[in-house]
Amino acid sequence: MSIAIAARFAFRELRGGLKGFTIFLSCLALGVAAIAAVGSVRTAIETGLSVEGAALLGGDAELDFTYRFANAQEKDWMQSRANAVSEIAEFRSMAVVDNGDQTERGLTQVKAVDDAYPLIGTMELNPAMDLGAALVAQNGLPGAVMERALIDRLGLSIGKTFALGTQQFYLSAEIMREPDGAAGGFGLGPRTLVRTADLVNSSLLASGTLFNTKYRLDLPPNPDLEALEANARAEFQNSGMRWTDARNGAPGVTEFVNRLGAFLVLVGLSGLAVGGVGVAAAVRAYLAEKTNVIATLRTLGAERSTIFQTYFIQIGVLSLIGISIGLLLGALAPLLLAPLIEARLPIPANFGIYPAPLFEAAIYGLLTAFIFTLWPLARAEDVRAATLFRDALGSSKLFPAPRYLLAIVIALCALIGLAATFSGTWRLTLVTSGGIMVALLMLVVSAAIIQWLAKRGGKITKGRPAWRWALTSISGTQEGAASVILSLGLGLSVLASVGQIDGNLRNAITGNLPDIAPSYFFVDIQRDQMEGYTKRLENDPAVRRIDSAPMLRGVITLINGKPAREVAGDHWVLEGDRGVTYADRPSKRTRITAGEWWPEGYSGPPLISFAAEEAEEMNLSLGDTVTMNILGRDITGTISSFREVDFSSAGIGFILSMNPSALRGAPHTFISTVYAEPEAETAILRDLAKAYPNITAIRVRDAIERVADVLSGLAAATSYGASATLLTGFLVLIGAAAAGTNARTYEAAVLKTLGATRGRILLSFALRSALLGLASGLVALAAGIAGGWAVSTFVMNIEYTVIWPSALAIIAGGVIATLVAGLLFAWGPLAVRPAQVLRARE
Amino acid sequence: MTTPALSLKNAMLSLNGNAGRVDILHGISLDIEEGHTVGLVGTSGSGKSSLLMLMGGLEQASGGTIHALGQDLTAMNEDALALFRRDNMGVVFQSFHLIPTMTAVENVATPLELAGVKDAFERARSELSDVGLSHRADHYPSQMSGGEQQRVALARASVARPKILLADEPTGNLDGTNGNAIMDLLFGLRDKHGATLVLVTHSDVLAARCDQIIRLEDGLIAQESIAK
Repeated sequence: MSIAIAARFAFRELRGGLKGFTIFLSCLALGVAAIAAVGSVRTAIETGLSVEGAALLGGDAELDFTYRFANAQEKDWMQSRANAVSEIAEFRSMAVVDNGDQTERGLTQVKAVDDAYPLIGTMELNPAMDLGAALVAQNGLPGAVMERALIDRLGLSIGKTFALGTQQFYLSAEIMREPDGAAGGFGLGPRTLVRTADLVNSSLLASGTLFNTKYRLDLPPNPDLEALEANARAEFQNSGMRWTDARNGAPGVTEFVNRLGAFLVLVGLSGLAVGGVGVAAAVRAYLAEKTNVIATLRTLGAERSTIFQTYFIQIGVLSLIGISIGLLLGALAPLLLAPLIEARLPIPANFGIYPAPLFEAAIYGLLTAFIFTLWPLARAEDVRAATLFRDALGSSKLFPAPRYLLAIVIALCALIGLAATFSGTWRLTLVTSGGIMVALLMLVVSAAIIQWLAKRGGKITKGRPAWRWALTSISGTQEGAASVILSLGLGLSVLASVGQIDGNLRNAITGNLPDIAPSYFFVDIQRDQMEGYTKRLENDPAVRRIDSAPMLRGVITLINGKPAREVAGDHWVLEGDRGVTYADRPSKRTRITAGEWWPEGYSGPPLISFAAEEAEEMNLSLGDTVTMNILGRDITGTISSFREVDFSSAGIGFILSMNPSALRGAPHTFISTVYAEPEAETAILRDLAKAYPNITAIRVRDAIERVADVLSGLAAATSYGASATLLTGFLVLIGAAAAGTNARTYEAAVLKTLGATRGRILLSFALRSALLGLASGLVALAAGIAGGWAVSTFVMNIEYTVIWPSALAIIAGGVIATLVAGLLFAWGPLAVRPAQVLRARE
Repeated sequence: MTTPALSLKNAMLSLNGNAGRVDILHGISLDIEEGHTVGLVGTSGSGKSSLLMLMGGLEQASGGTIHALGQDLTAMNEDALALFRRDNMGVVFQSFHLIPTMTAVENVATPLELAGVKDAFERARSELSDVGLSHRADHYPSQMSGGEQQRVALARASVARPKILLADEPTGNLDGTNGNAIMDLLFGLRDKHGATLVLVTHSDVLAARCDQIIRLEDGLIAQESIAK
């Protein structure tokens, strides 16, 4: 009964239209739109990856081996099941151009292919030609194609020659698009593509060098990939084979997109929280306007529940309108921007309307609207009929009834729970939501402190009327000041946190590295080359230090006889292959944390020294057995010691080290790091590359720059998300400024009557805005530094320092934003004639 | 002996404002018989409107008791008071307090709707017709003059046939002609439906139309007299 009446009253009030709800609707719509758009783009990419799985992978299925080609048994298995098989070998090498007086060298990711490549899709080359034709020999030299970045770096042009190892190639074309390029993941150098057969005389791909082989299968139509995978795993379980198929052609990319998407949705949720502040302010303002109506209804006999339901329905309907607008924008924006997004994405995306992300965004929107509007709505029912007679006395309580508080807490838990479920990461969700709540609490407290300070400050500004008016209006207009500080402060806090985390991550990667990182990594040094290699460096006074170690690569398959993933879950050490070394005795820098190193010359059953931190994460203990598949052969060893391994110094670090006899007979090469003065680097590289063309040199600074490039892309994506949050904050700011227009108009009219000039009044308005912006910026800075410190210290384990340029930009941004919003609404009040305003008040 | 429509025993009202505690009514005791019309007069700040608010359960007494139609208003919570008003009282304000988003007929129908009356709108239209506003039934308050708005407020106050009508300076915002018309209507409605009427006014002429006049001074009854 009561609901029906409340609904009727609610719709009568709503007939007045949506005037006054612009900010309410914008805040909700923008927050929902951002989340819906991120979700839609993520789904579009996931769908693209799934639909184009086979094309991305370059076949229906792929078997991947480390360090070796498939053996006859494995090749038989593949050929008996596939219509066609394509063999690819991938490794890093140096492309060298000898110009007579000058030699140019560039690190490249070489892809050696057979005639069957590519099984699916086509290679796009410039000048346009068939790949077969591009790789065919001319004048006795095999052809090769290369990416533009490397062509430029080497100063090459089409038709010119270059060397890979000891084999010369001529460059026939530039690679424009590699059909299976996205599945390869992160590479340290640009691509060069050649025929495997042409590498026979290159001295590359020699025994022990680091290379991967991939066998792509073109299967008969509608293959049962699940059954085939199970069969392959059963057949080759101990061979170190890895399986990928078209169901998820680029697992690394999919996971990356998923994680980035989840993170951006969480950034979007903080935007929605900022919007929530605006929504709550709008509802409070609306209900304040409606106080007389509510009091009249109470006089006429309306119960508290009727009042609550009447406004709950109204705000509910408005929320639905806001959310619908947001969903529409969020669904359409990716569609409209599809050409732009596709052009910047290296992977396929199928843009369309996807219900799942829209549903997710709608749920977030509904819960946020509920959480932020219930408090002011619940207070509406406390409006007493007596308010019609006197509004200053008997003000309503601060807290609503406990049942409403309970409902808010339940909705909040539901929101966090859903966000964690949808994003798949509880920890990040809890950290984000905890951060938002702490920031909101900080901002509420700060707003109260700022108003208190403004009240006190009013007394010491005697003789400076503009300052006094500004301070008294901050301390007086409680609602406006708090709204501004909350909304802008929260938006700036998110942006400040992102800025601090990004800056510290960059510092950790690029800053201070020259002090601790080597200049070069040299890989694929053959055993017989080690003597000459070491001699060249030891005789160079510019070389401070050389670390060399034998290196093999293998996959950990079993721990204590059980599949490794069953014991240690999805720890990163188990993802793909890992470097393994051997040593008779620990190096000078090795610090054993538990157990003992094997005796010199030990030749008993294999023993392992495992990295201590990773062992602890994987729940490994001394005496546990670990089985590694190296070159198709299983080697099981017992953990006899743990030792510290520091990966942050970019030096050589092996998770596993074994006694030499355990790996005797396994073909391998050496890896070496060289710490040298920068001015000596070029000569070292020139001499070593000339003497040992098969050795690959990786310049650490170049590698770090590649990582930094990827990071800057991530930071850009995060900043876009954070900007949406800030835009919402600015909208709330505009709302607060607009809501204060009446008060400003009255204030201006009275001040003019008392003799204040327009300039002086404008100055006081500007001061008020700037002070609020400064306060918001300072609070955001504190929150950003706290957030940045927490994430850097506890999540990323990196040293934290305040990034001042970003911090100061945040404060400046806060001041400018409030000034713009404040002054935007100052002209109206300034222009009105005092009599007009004062008469209307009588 | 019949139960008085309104009975106040040592009713007190103090309010806490920004400037501290303000004592408004210092202990008012009076009985108003059913069907009587009472004029509350006095200077500004004497406590007339506050006394009316206590009678309507719109304000909570700080002390004493207030009975309306035999029921103790001071023992009721906000919702019980709202329901009591819905069923027994009509209130008219100086500033009309019509709901701006509702048309005249919707405003008048509201108390009936709250009471669950099925033919609320038919009765509301009929009531509007009684105050001469049938042609304005679908107009919004902003489309009507002050006099018309107060007539709608009168219709809204009387449509549920309350046993008690409380009017707080109903002509305070109107000119003389409109004011007289409103008072005629108010007394006409009261005569027609037989309600107890308590009227706050500054005008001795208007007060003289009541059965009983109570003059307040500084929150106390200074004088009680029979007008006719």
